[in-house]
Amino acid sequence: MPAICTVCSKGAILKRPKTGNALCKECFFHAFEEEIHHTIVHAELFKRNETIAIGASGGKDSTVLAYVLKLLNDRHDYGVNLVLLSVDEGITGYRDDSLETVKRNQEQYGLPLKIISYEELYGWTMDAIVKQIGLKNNCTFCGVFRRQALDRGALMLKVDKIATGHNADDIAETVIMNVLRGDIGRLRRCTAITTGTDGALPRCKPFKYTYEKEIVMYAYFKKLDYFSTECIYSPNAYRGFARAYIKDVEKIRPSAIIDIIHSGESLSVKKDIRLPVQGVCERCGYISSNAVCKACVMLEGLNKGLPRLGIGKTHKERRKMQEMLQQETGAADSTPCTDQSLKSSCKCENKTDQSECSSQTYDSDNASGCSTYSKSQKCKDGCSSTNPRTVAKEKLSIFGKLKQPPSIDF
Amino acid sequence: MRRRMMRRLLRVCAVCLKEFLGCFQVYVTHKFRAAIGKTKLVRDGEKVLVGISGGPSSCALLHLIQEGLSQRAHKKLRFKPGLIFIDEGQVVGQSLEEHKVTLTRIHSLLRQSGFPYHLCQLADSLDLERVKTLNACQSNHSAVNKINQSAMDINTCSNPVEGDKGDVEISGQDENCCDLIEMNREAEKLFAAQLGSIRSISGKEDFVRALRHRLLLEFARQHGYSKVMLGNTGSQLAVRLLTDISTGRGMQAALETAFADRRNTDMMFLRPLRDFSSKEIAMYNNLHRLECVFIPSLTTMGDVGASIEHLTEAFVTGLQAEYPSTVSNIMRTGEKLDSSSAVDLESHCALCQGPLDTDVGMSSALAALRFSLEISTMGKTNGERCIKGDNSVNNTNDELCSNGVNYDAKVECCGKSDGSCRSSTQLSVPDEGLVLQTLCYGCRIVAMEMDDVNSLPEFVMKDVAWRNRRSVMKAEIQDFLLDDR
Repeated sequence: MPAICTVCSKGAILKRPKTGNALCKECFFHAFEEEIHHTIVHAELFKRNETIAIGASGGKDSTVLAYVLKLLNDRHDYGVNLVLLSVDEGITGYRDDSLETVKRNQEQYGLPLKIISYEELYGWTMDAIVKQIGLKNNCTFCGVFRRQALDRGALMLKVDKIATGHNADDIAETVIMNVLRGDIGRLRRCTAITTGTDGALPRCKPFKYTYEKEIVMYAYFKKLDYFSTECIYSPNAYRGFARAYIKDVEKIRPSAIIDIIHSGESLSVKKDIRLPVQGVCERCGYISSNAVCKACVMLEGLNKGLPRLGIGKTHKERRKMQEMLQQETGAADSTPCTDQSLKSSCKCENKTDQSECSSQTYDSDNASGCSTYSKSQKCKDGCSSTNPRTVAKEKLSIFGKLKQPPSIDF
Repeated sequence: MRRRMMRRLLRVCAVCLKEFLGCFQVYVTHKFRAAIGKTKLVRDGEKVLVGISGGPSSCALLHLIQEGLSQRAHKKLRFKPGLIFIDEGQVVGQSLEEHKVTLTRIHSLLRQSGFPYHLCQLADSLDLERVKTLNACQSNHSAVNKINQSAMDINTCSNPVEGDKGDVEISGQDENCCDLIEMNREAEKLFAAQLGSIRSISGKEDFVRALRHRLLLEFARQHGYSKVMLGNTGSQLAVRLLTDISTGRGMQAALETAFADRRNTDMMFLRPLRDFSSKEIAMYNNLHRLECVFIPSLTTMGDVGASIEHLTEAFVTGLQAEYPSTVSNIMRTGEKLDSSSAVDLESHCALCQGPLDTDVGMSSALAALRFSLEISTMGKTNGERCIKGDNSVNNTNDELCSNGVNYDAKVECCGKSDGSCRSSTQLSVPDEGLVLQTLCYGCRIVAMEMDDVNSLPEFVMKDVAWRNRRSVMKAEIQDFLLDDR
């Protein structure tokens, strides 16, 4: 029995993943486009005469985003100028193919394109980074670098906003991932449709309430061309777990993705929780919540041969840095503390450092961190008593330019 | 390395080098006491209702309370516990024999504790008037009672504590308690009908949970308890948090995983076992050889994808195996979330009593979903529709349309976002939109799965009618109210 479109009562050719209604092709296009228009209008994403950079990766989200934004701009007269901005991470077999798609998009939609690469910005490609760091945690590098790259590219093009193709599934995954990782600052921000309004270039997500499957369906029926492979390094990402969970929940209840976004929007954080404060990086001038931004830390680590500087546990990395310096300078610095002991209070041999002993690197209400004054907790992680004041100044410029730099809270 | 091996062979504690698990006992007791004592919420002599489900964490909780209250405990706890067991056999459709077996085992378990205990059925939540008449059954174990006599007053039950009458009383009470369960047939049928009309297992689980919460609340209120204590462990609560987020109950997630759940201003729900993992509880039970009663639930032996909660449980336990800090990370995140309670009774969900989270602006997931539904079904919807992002009326779900629900077309939304929507109140059957308005996002999903929204439990419908009357009152005096909250 052929299904009937619930809107126009003609023959239906698809079932919407979001609501389960059967629709015909035209009505689906109309619904899809109208929903995005609704999102844009009610969240006030665009203003007249603004220049918007579309983060184009050549994948389905950015291709459809470019197409739909151009369509809606013409149809509803937003009055914005659109440009395509693409980032080349230097992943062979993945990124070079997708860049071809972006170039084709540029011709098809008639939008100007700029490509910016990691090589020219940082001097490192993702392939080289993965060779240094291995297959786990490489997504952190790529993500941090890409964010800066997009911003720098956008500044070069002098745009007012960046539009990315993050869809509802991505945001739901991010919410789940932040809960699993305990990242309360990001949890609060991740469901906002426009982020980064103060200081840096604002970024918006017009696809926030659009399901990934619907994007694919739209591209399929409109015969839009895109590059559909997964990044070759992604299978080991932590996000994969959240993604698998989301896919399973969607099977049980299709509206769950929007439910998760709704939950994320209604979460509120206790007022006395310490959240990161936005500042400026000392070395590159980019926005950062610490003295030195993450990209600079990572770069420094890569250049010095300590690739895990940006991602490993801070005190362990400092200890490694310390050991490396010891080997080089031959000077006897303060010894690390007996960190394998299971005693109830953290015994740092370097007594002057006891108050700084990693307690700054964790929140005071972090149960698994090393808190020197808590009686019932055991010192699980290695406690580095390395007094930062004894660190050699010239080599470790990353820890601050002052003679007695404060320890970095990463 | 060799020392470690030797230690393991000799089963000696790594901390005190004495008998294995001695320090563990201290650790567990200390954590339990610290959880209760740190928050200073339980006062001396307070009556606390303890919910026992028969599972391992409930047994551990019971044992810990017993230890804590006994004379020889160092700085013993000072509250008066009463136990309650809610029989949920009907949810899985247990037969009468299985029912009786479970009941007798639970009965003996509760009796041995020496505290006053109650038995009731989940279906009683639909008939809250009866809850008042349920008497406490008193344990007649005289030896235990002598210990407890000094600790608490035994005035909740009419049966005297005498040794020689002991046996007769016990068997008499057995029948009494089972009889109590028998008597409530109509409520049982109603409950079965309501449960049956919810299509998905996730919806059923949500519904059962809301009813259980409500029953505990009412029971505690009517029998003079001021707090309710539940035995949820950290692992269970981590699963709970993720499930709540996945079902749209983000605002209540903080309440469900906090130590003190203050969603009702007069009754506090406490969870002293929230810092324990399920492994620790299992070890504790093993150490003290505690017997648990296994009661099957809707998803026992089911497929992983049977319900959202079941899936989440599999997910969290799987992730915990690889990343051992998962559960503690999730719990830590839950602690940082705000569990501020709602201001007045009207901003509570009628079904789960959580805060209402539907007063969101136009740029929100709720509004987007509503718009999507609208635009996908434009042919079938009623002409007078109110498209606002706040507590406005009417969801255009196809199934509901076709079931002939009483769709009164005269419903209009006055556009105010405080729920004072003046819809036509002359009907005896409240309009579906009105009912949905009083529910939070998560409960709305459950309600929309039911065939008829008006078949929700009585306490929900009463709440709806009450709010309706209040909104009419408010609308009449609207012009003269100065503080329009």
